[in-house]
Amino acid sequence: MSLAKWTVGLLAGMSMLAFAAPADAGEVRVTVAEYSAKTGPYFEEVKKEFEAANPGITIKYEVVPWDVLLQKLTTDITAGTNADLSIIGTRWLIDFVQQDVAEPLDSYIKPEFKDRFIDTFLQPSIMDGKTYGLPIAASARAMYYNKELFEKAGIAKPPATWTELQEDARKIKAIGAFGFGLQGKEIETDVYYYYAMWSQGTEILNKDGTSGLSTPGALEAAKLYKSMIDEGLTEPGVTSNNREDVQNLFKQGKVGMMITAPFLSNQIKEEAPNLKYGVAAIPAGPTGARGTYGVTDSIIMFKNSKNKDEAWKLLDFLFTKEQRAKFTQGEGFLPVNKEEAKMDYYVNNADLAAFTALLPDARFAPVIPGWEEIAQITSDAMQKIYLGSAKPEDALKDAAAKADAVLKKK
Amino acid sequence: MQSRILPYLLTLPSLLLAAVVIFWPVWDLVQISTHDVSRFGQLRGFTGFANFTELFADPDFVAALWRTGLWTVLVVGGALLLSIPVAMILNMDFYGRGLARVIIMLPWAVSLTMTAVVWRWALNGESGMLNSALMKLGLISQNIQWLASAETAFPMQVLIGILVTVPFTTTIFLGGLSSIPDDLYEAAALEGATPMQQFREITFPLLKPFINIAIVLNTIYVFNSFPIIWVMTQGGPANSTDILVTHLYKLAFRIGKLGEASAVSLVMFAILLVFTMIYVRLAMREQRA
Repeated sequence: MSLAKWTVGLLAGMSMLAFAAPADAGEVRVTVAEYSAKTGPYFEEVKKEFEAANPGITIKYEVVPWDVLLQKLTTDITAGTNADLSIIGTRWLIDFVQQDVAEPLDSYIKPEFKDRFIDTFLQPSIMDGKTYGLPIAASARAMYYNKELFEKAGIAKPPATWTELQEDARKIKAIGAFGFGLQGKEIETDVYYYYAMWSQGTEILNKDGTSGLSTPGALEAAKLYKSMIDEGLTEPGVTSNNREDVQNLFKQGKVGMMITAPFLSNQIKEEAPNLKYGVAAIPAGPTGARGTYGVTDSIIMFKNSKNKDEAWKLLDFLFTKEQRAKFTQGEGFLPVNKEEAKMDYYVNNADLAAFTALLPDARFAPVIPGWEEIAQITSDAMQKIYLGSAKPEDALKDAAAKADAVLKKK
Repeated sequence: MQSRILPYLLTLPSLLLAAVVIFWPVWDLVQISTHDVSRFGQLRGFTGFANFTELFADPDFVAALWRTGLWTVLVVGGALLLSIPVAMILNMDFYGRGLARVIIMLPWAVSLTMTAVVWRWALNGESGMLNSALMKLGLISQNIQWLASAETAFPMQVLIGILVTVPFTTTIFLGGLSSIPDDLYEAAALEGATPMQQFREITFPLLKPFINIAIVLNTIYVFNSFPIIWVMTQGGPANSTDILVTHLYKLAFRIGKLGEASAVSLVMFAILLVFTMIYVRLAMREQRA
């Protein structure tokens, strides 16, 4: 067993040496996040078209699953073996900028290029007036509901407020299904809680820069979810279900409502084509406040890249309308390109219309160092509340104190 | 004179290799753990033991430390208790022994991560195989949410840990059993020793060196084992199934605290080193006596 370990270690060491070899002139290395089975083939297609149009430049990809992307980038950058371009979560960008590894793109960006983008999605990649990344993927969240279950339970339309949602969930529970799919495990457990929190008018950060978790609105939201769990209005075993688990329950027709990203529509089309579902806005709180989570992923250029001009050419190519449309539609994201958004595919798509209608209420992850740690603290607190191992008041107070400590440190 | 240098010369190559693959990374870890580090590993200033004190002030780390001990003892102990009878049965001569040996060894051939993924599916609350099997057998009337809380998740992880540790342990014991000469048993049987007595007086004492080896190797391996817990619960919910390796991974690659993470791995290294030294000492003294 230990022998196998050594072999793996040696191989890993050798492959690192291989990567450290000087890059060929005209070679652009790109670290690509694997969003779905379609990501790899799409980028291979890009390579073919781009290399044909730009003789002398070759593209080399490293396609990495999302879960290990940040780990790979951390080790690559530490060892100085990072690629020329990489897709990253925009919420990590501030760390990259502060550590001075991301190259500002402003010298390359012409007004015509900037004009291609929908401004909402470009904004998160701009820091201190400099553009450090381009939004390669954009997404927001809305509420999916199962029309068949709604009909059977005698519900006419999707709930507009959380109070209505609770009532509807009770009706769905009465016909033997799970009313509201609640995510309680792994990445974005905290985000699922923010939907309720935002509708209470509470933000992740208060105006004075402290954590919003200590506000009455945050408590109200936590109590809402906890009461729904206790009443049996959610699926059982909330803390064992990550986003994919809840989506699977929805696809199986076992869950009445859930909040997730547009890509669920694509998955349903392929895996459960007979499921009758609709997409609606995220419910509002007592004052009418509501919020959805907006996410962009950025593609960035590294400061130590030796082939910046070639890399920029590739970026320019990736952000043409045709390329964008192919990628966005394949993955089920939202368009970031203005011209692309006018295409029939988006204009006539009721699901996507529901998402884009929510964009004015979109919140992006706050641009602060240590954000991942605060997200982790919040997720842990939610799990404790969902499990009942801590009272909502205590768990939130504790989490707010920890989050404030992180916020103060930086 | 020459004969005195020779042994050192002969061990020099392996010592150099060890220096490169062990001492160098450990030295690197010492560097990182005593400095303020950026999330990409750039050292920013000496901080002494700040990372360590911060670590021991963190209740999640302390809980993970204790849980790692529990996890190691349960998995290594369980695998040991299970492997001795399994090895003894497989050492007997019976029809289909070859097949039985293959079946016992099979979990070893599957990657640990894959095993954990399959179990995660099997333990799924709503569509998992285990629940539907128990339901059909009439043992439960309601789905059990295995991975929803540590009370059910951690015992299952320990059981799976035992399951994947058994093949290796059994292999060691089979080697040990085949080295025990048959005439010992024949003589004992002639004198009227019962099978239980034979086990206590012959099998167990002669198997002891092999048990010691199994304990040391399994402890090192299980203590550092990452995939089972990570794949099934990621140490959650709310860090309640975290062991040191999963805690370390979260610290380093999720939160980006490389300094504290390096401190964790040094603590792990120290624990294993001390354990191995004490244990090997004790085991060797016993053998000499």
